[in-house]
Amino acid sequence: MKADMNLNRKLALLLGLSSLALGACTHVEPWQREVLARDDMQLDANAIDTSLDDHIYFSKEGTSGGRGFGGGGCGCN
Amino acid sequence: MAQDDKRIGASLAAAACGLLGSAVPAISRAADPAGNWDIDSAFLYYGESDGRVQDLSLTAIAVRDYGDDRKLSLDGTLDTLTGASPSGAIAADRPQTFTSPSGGGTYTTPAGEIPLDSSFHDTRFALNASWSQPIARLYTWNLGVGLSSEYDYQHAGVNSGLTRDFNERNTTLSMALAYGMDTVRPVGGVPIPFAQMPDADGEDDGGEQANRSGSSESKDVLDVLFGVTQVLGRHSLLRVNYSYSDSSGYLTDPYKILSVVDPVTGEPVVRTPPPGAEGPDGIYLFEHRPDSRRRQSLYGELRQDFSGKVLQIGYRYSTDDWEIDSHTLEGRLRLPLGSSSYLEPHLRYYTQTAASFYRYSLAGDAALPEFASADARLADLDAWTLGAKYARETAGGSEWSARLEFYHQVSKPPAQTLIGNQSGNVQMPDFDAVILQFGYHFKL
Repeated sequence: MKADMNLNRKLALLLGLSSLALGACTHVEPWQREVLARDDMQLDANAIDTSLDDHIYFSKEGTSGGRGFGGGGCGCN
Repeated sequence: MAQDDKRIGASLAAAACGLLGSAVPAISRAADPAGNWDIDSAFLYYGESDGRVQDLSLTAIAVRDYGDDRKLSLDGTLDTLTGASPSGAIAADRPQTFTSPSGGGTYTTPAGEIPLDSSFHDTRFALNASWSQPIARLYTWNLGVGLSSEYDYQHAGVNSGLTRDFNERNTTLSMALAYGMDTVRPVGGVPIPFAQMPDADGEDDGGEQANRSGSSESKDVLDVLFGVTQVLGRHSLLRVNYSYSDSSGYLTDPYKILSVVDPVTGEPVVRTPPPGAEGPDGIYLFEHRPDSRRRQSLYGELRQDFSGKVLQIGYRYSTDDWEIDSHTLEGRLRLPLGSSSYLEPHLRYYTQTAASFYRYSLAGDAALPEFASADARLADLDAWTLGAKYARETAGGSEWSARLEFYHQVSKPPAQTLIGNQSGNVQMPDFDAVILQFGYHFKL
């Protein structure tokens, strides 16, 4: 029950953030995307760094993930 | 009511943005010639202070573009770990002797020091492959498989995701599922929960020791992720993910133990091994965690360009039914140095609350709790990472990079788990680590 309430709260927060994001959209046209198309503006620009970091933090902290799915499990003691 | 308002607001915003939508290309990097491999490789050294865990790791991610947004991605990692890891036992005023996990012998921790299990060593292989392609206008689908192997741990997983572009491809919604099956084969066998650490049998043959219930256990992990990526302007991009993770099965760490202590003083209870036997000189019990864990997290990431400088800010909130709540805040700022190199400082802060069953130790006269673990990773903890990356592009279009970071972790047991005098002399396995990485990015 408590988990369900938490889930609802998180979903509400997600929807709230989504509406903020959508509300701020400014319709960037394809010919206006020279900055957004740059390598350093991609969400996976640091893919190898973040994947190595995720593995380190997964084995040293109590929570992990969130960005996407990490590749491969580990025993990690 | 407020939630309904937000939902209506989101729907209106989506509808308003949708009205202006038309078929235009998605955000994409400058297209590489089809058929080429784009390879990102790295060598990583991770080293903890005081002779604890050291890791050498080689990783490569290779992406091949088959044109029309059809891509194959392969990645492989080889890890070699050595060093010592905290066992969960508390530091004491006298030296403490423990049986090694294999049962082949004992090791002794000097007085006043945190007990570390130095038999920790491992080599890990991981391989992942994924394929992505458009399946209809505005829809992209991907499918991935992954495997990893250590001498005592195997993982196999599948994942699949679907994305849909909206709003002139200014908005992307995504959904993904992942399922993992893991098997653990602990050295010496699977410990019986809360059974006592046995005496050594003197044989380092990896055979099953006393107080074990078999040779292997398994766990399953299901992950679900929903994400929104939104272009906020010509220089700015936001991603928000909600994810849900359900783990079930063997979630206990088979190598972690708890010290049984005097209920008045909080000092470890003394035990004398039988004549002629080698074994622990205290009472140490194998830990026991719940066999399920449900976790939710919300992750947001903003990328903002300031005339060529790129700021990346990420935040994650995570909560679970083990009562570990965490906040992670991190930032990177990419500063171009001329036209072919950049410097990127990185700062990260992490904080978490303790698991409900985390204990610093167990009182000798009290009934055993349903679950208990003294693993410091389940304690209240804070961590900082500070570092920077430098990268330089060669005349041929390849890029090499070097990254140096420092990690500092401080943990503390919740006051209610302390017994007797422990509040005055608690020692936690705080540590510092250095992360050094060399990378090379090239095309074949």
